[in-house]
Amino acid sequence: MRSPGLLLLAALACSAEPATFDGRVAQVLRDNCSQCHGERKQKAGLRLDSHAAVLLGSKDGPVVEPGNVGASELARRISLSPLDDDFMPSGEHPPLSPSEISLLKAWIAAGAPATTPFDSPAMEPAAAPPPAAPDYGPRLALARALAGELGVTLVPRSRIQTDGLILRTAGAPSRCDDQALARLAPVSDLIVEAELARTRVTDKGMEAVGAWKNLRRLDVTRTAVTSDGLAFLAPLQLLESLNLTQTRVDGRGLALARKFPALRRIWAFEGP
Amino acid sequence: MPAAPHPEGTDPCSDHGGEGPTVLDLPNVPMALKREWLEAETRRHFLARGSKALAWAGLATLLGRSAPHLLADTSALPDRRPHFAPKAKRAIYLFMAGAPSQFETWDYKPKLSGMFAQNLPESVRGGQVLTGMTASQAGLPIAPSLFKFSQQGRSGQWVSELFPHTGKVVDELCVIKSLYTEAINHEPAILTMTTGNMFPGRPSLGSWLAYGLGAINEELPTFVVMTSKMPVKQNVQALSNRLWSSGFLSPEYAAVALRSGSEPVLYLKDPRGLSRDMRQAMISGVSELNRQLFERVGDPEINTRISQYEMAFRMQASVPDLSDFSDEPASTWDLYGPKAREPGTFAYNCLMARRLAERGVRFTQIFLRTWDNHTNLPAGIRAMCEDSDRPTYGLITDLKRRGMLDDTLVVWGGEFGRTVYSQGTLTADNYGRDHHPRCFSMWMCGAGTKPGMTYGETDDFSYNIVKDPVHVRDLHATILHQFGFDHNKLTFKSQGLDQKLTGVLPARVIPEVLA
Ligand code: HEC
Repeated sequence: MRSPGLLLLAALACSAEPATFDGRVAQVLRDNCSQCHGERKQKAGLRLDSHAAVLLGSKDGPVVEPGNVGASELARRISLSPLDDDFMPSGEHPPLSPSEISLLKAWIAAGAPATTPFDSPAMEPAAAPPPAAPDYGPRLALARALAGELGVTLVPRSRIQTDGLILRTAGAPSRCDDQALARLAPVSDLIVEAELARTRVTDKGMEAVGAWKNLRRLDVTRTAVTSDGLAFLAPLQLLESLNLTQTRVDGRGLALARKFPALRRIWAFEGP
Repeated sequence: MPAAPHPEGTDPCSDHGGEGPTVLDLPNVPMALKREWLEAETRRHFLARGSKALAWAGLATLLGRSAPHLLADTSALPDRRPHFAPKAKRAIYLFMAGAPSQFETWDYKPKLSGMFAQNLPESVRGGQVLTGMTASQAGLPIAPSLFKFSQQGRSGQWVSELFPHTGKVVDELCVIKSLYTEAINHEPAILTMTTGNMFPGRPSLGSWLAYGLGAINEELPTFVVMTSKMPVKQNVQALSNRLWSSGFLSPEYAAVALRSGSEPVLYLKDPRGLSRDMRQAMISGVSELNRQLFERVGDPEINTRISQYEMAFRMQASVPDLSDFSDEPASTWDLYGPKAREPGTFAYNCLMARRLAERGVRFTQIFLRTWDNHTNLPAGIRAMCEDSDRPTYGLITDLKRRGMLDDTLVVWGGEFGRTVYSQGTLTADNYGRDHHPRCFSMWMCGAGTKPGMTYGETDDFSYNIVKDPVHVRDLHATILHQFGFDHNKLTFKSQGLDQKLTGVLPARVIPEVLA
């Protein structure tokens, strides 16, 4: 039995615009099967290069039963051991990847529609990002211990160990002050983002932050930081975003900040 | 970390003739509570534990510590690191429950104006089954939107006259017109939107995020839900906590539902005469007892209970500050409108959501009900938009000027769409619309979504999708992506499966809607 949901999906596909068959399912079939089941050769009388042809099947009948993976010869063929005589793609062709196999099966399960979300190319896995900071691995324990002592948190931005750390204070903003910032020196090159909103940091603290050379984002919303403090940040070559909401940074400070080499975004809502 | 309990018989402080202290020895704990504990003791626990009712270690904790603490069984904690660097740190999801019609909101269909009352062509419907609500109607008369549209912003997106305020920020929005779902009734459809599955029992999107990311601020819940006062009193759909439950994930990832009214969290205030110290001692004591219970029976629910007590205690300190809006500048009220002063309104909840986001709450979901306009749609939807348009605009503008839109994802939308044909009688100025899951519109904004764009297309009747379909799963995959997760890898083992929000059918991140 097909579930009502799948029927709906299939119905959606049938009533959509003229069947284009150019998405991922089509691409997998084209890349792996059409040399033997396409325009030039039609092994077993089967073509797999259009939606209609796939549904038509081979000289022996249908190879896809929409909504029923178990009854679909195509699904069976691609799921066999590559050593099996019936295994597809046959010959020298490498087997489909597990994700390609599950894509084809899911497509059949969903009623083998011509246009569906399956037709959109999958998001390519992002290339490894350029390192934002040195590998945090060797110093993560140190960073955590230090943070614990100071009442702040230092958390990895991601599992990619060169993505850097985020300095967080939201749990206990009143515990974070200038002294705490100074004491983070041993791990400061790992800090890529500093969330210092509502903390007790002042201009003095910015002096410490000015040495955090990998810092990209700094938020000092609702702190006592002034334009004098901003002057300390001039050495930060990578600082991209600076949040000065509800601080006393004035026009002079903003003019200073605009000269920072990498700065792209700055907020000064509710300034003086 | 709590002090390790001493193995039986080696307790260094074991006096009381070897009996140890009992619950009755706890200082500062009301007698009634002590009795309740004693009565709750089961025979099995009693036998399992022997005669030592409470280890001295527990008392030391009670007397010596200044703050309650979590039992951190770190081995059981998930790896809290996203798979890659996230764009979003938090999200505010404006859930328009009841399903706003796409025709009057975001899916402008100019060709319909010349087709008033004509029957929907068979070819469009393609034999698709009608719901019980409209199947018995004599016809399917086309109901064009009664509301006008105009192109606004640099992006030139079509905006309904129902959104005079939201129109001003249309250049921030990424409108998706090609959402679809399989569910056709509210409960399963809302569940699909919130949990990825129409059957109850799966974790909500917010729970997955809480599980995957952990808290930014331990003083507040990671996932908060607020339901808003209803602008109209018709077509009311129930909202149950299934929608924000943690499913098979640990209950600590379920949302805390903030109530409307003067007390956002019930029973959070200490009763008169109970001092904060006394409360703290009590909670520490209960936690310690629970901890010992956990040592013996190992039920993870006990840890959840401990963390909930402790969270509640911390919230006692953090919530009053949260709901005290007196520190808001005058400009706030200009933005969100005067209704934002009235607890429980959608406007109030939007402002509260910004305050929660500022303090590090990861996921805030605001429900606004009564969009279910089967009849009298024009009046109904006007009331809905009058209630929600300005606060929605206010929220986006406020986040933007505070530099928070950069890493706060805002999502607006319901659970399905509505039909092009009128349900019930169609007149020149009145009509209704039935449920329609085959296409509906939503928008996202902030946190690396592409501003000022429209994605996906429906046919002239907004009946079928003709370009770039987006299943609810794809939306979920995309949201998780903005939080740094590969939706295929954010999993939790339950009932022998590596469960995930997007389930087993293929889902894809929509790269086109990302900046
Ligand atoms: C190198 C050539 C070659 C390639 C590549 C190839 N096939 Fe085949 N296929 C054959 C031949 C030859 C047969 C007939 C013999 C048999 O049934 O095994 C066949 C038969 C089939 C059949 C059975 C048709 C029937 O009902 O009898 C199916 C289904 C099939 N192929 C699917 C595929 C799929 C799917 C792919 C790609 C993943 C693929 N094939 C790639 C050569 C190929």
